Amino acid sequence: MKRGELLGSLEHIILLALVRLEGGAHGMIVRREIEERTGRNISIGAVYATLARLEAKGYVSSFAGEPTPQRGGRATRLFRVEAAGKRALQISEQTIRSMSAGLKDRWGTI
Amino acid sequence: MRPCSPQTFLCLLLESVLPDPYREAIIGDLIEQYTLRVESTSRFRASCWFWSQACRSVPPMVWCWLCSGNCFLNMSVAVGVFIVMATLKFAADLTISKLVSPDQTTDVILAPIVFLTITAIGGCVAARIRRGATLFLALMVTITVAILIELKVCSSPVPWWYQFGFLTLGPLAVMITPTLFGPLKQQGSVT
Repeated sequence: MKRGELLGSLEHIILLALVRLEGGAHGMIVRREIEERTGRNISIGAVYATLARLEAKGYVSSFAGEPTPQRGGRATRLFRVEAAGKRALQISEQTIRSMSAGLKDRWGTI
Repeated sequence: MRPCSPQTFLCLLLESVLPDPYREAIIGDLIEQYTLRVESTSRFRASCWFWSQACRSVPPMVWCWLCSGNCFLNMSVAVGVFIVMATLKFAADLTISKLVSPDQTTDVILAPIVFLTITAIGGCVAARIRRGATLFLALMVTITVAILIELKVCSSPVPWWYQFGFLTLGPLAVMITPTLFGPLKQQGSVT
């Protein structure tokens, strides 16, 4: 991740969800985790589009799972966070933290 | 178990529209979630959820795929196939006019048959060369038909639904035929 380059909000949330889910999770699990924790109702397509972007950046990797009858015989695709993704998360968190440092008292006045 | 039965058409459409390599995963996720929702709520509510998710999922995936860099190559293939399709249509019209006496009724009946056959073949050829080209080809067919309707090129007066049929079925034939009959049909059944 280049210096000064921040993760998008959905990228950030999806990376955090993947870190929480550990090991590997497919799009629908990620979507459900985000919905349960944030109340944001995002489409499965938006989740996969963001995961595709993150994969292109090398922040996540994916591998094909087993097709099951419940999925109409379609294979699942599992995602997991790579070291670069964890680093990007840390940088992003650090940037937001340093930008919001000292602003706690001002929230009421903004 | 027929987890996707009420959404067969939608599954087919999604299969035609969604880009690789996430197509299978997205449709599989939707079907799995639909099955779970049918068990926990009602079939109607699960269907509503399926439709809303499917409709909301296509634009971000298509946008993501358009930004991925294969755009130019897919567009080039689509333009090439479109030119071949236009030539075929011209040749077919010429042959029909020589074989059958020029008659408005015959024209109105034969025109959609020729049009749909050519768009279906075009879709299959484009998909065989590059899967993503079908989307551009469908778009080009839609724009061309819209322009032709606007220019009122049809010699005989036809009802609006006849023209609307060209506008909707043409792109659909381009998108769906490769999924239905092409070599791209995966082992995953769209039941």
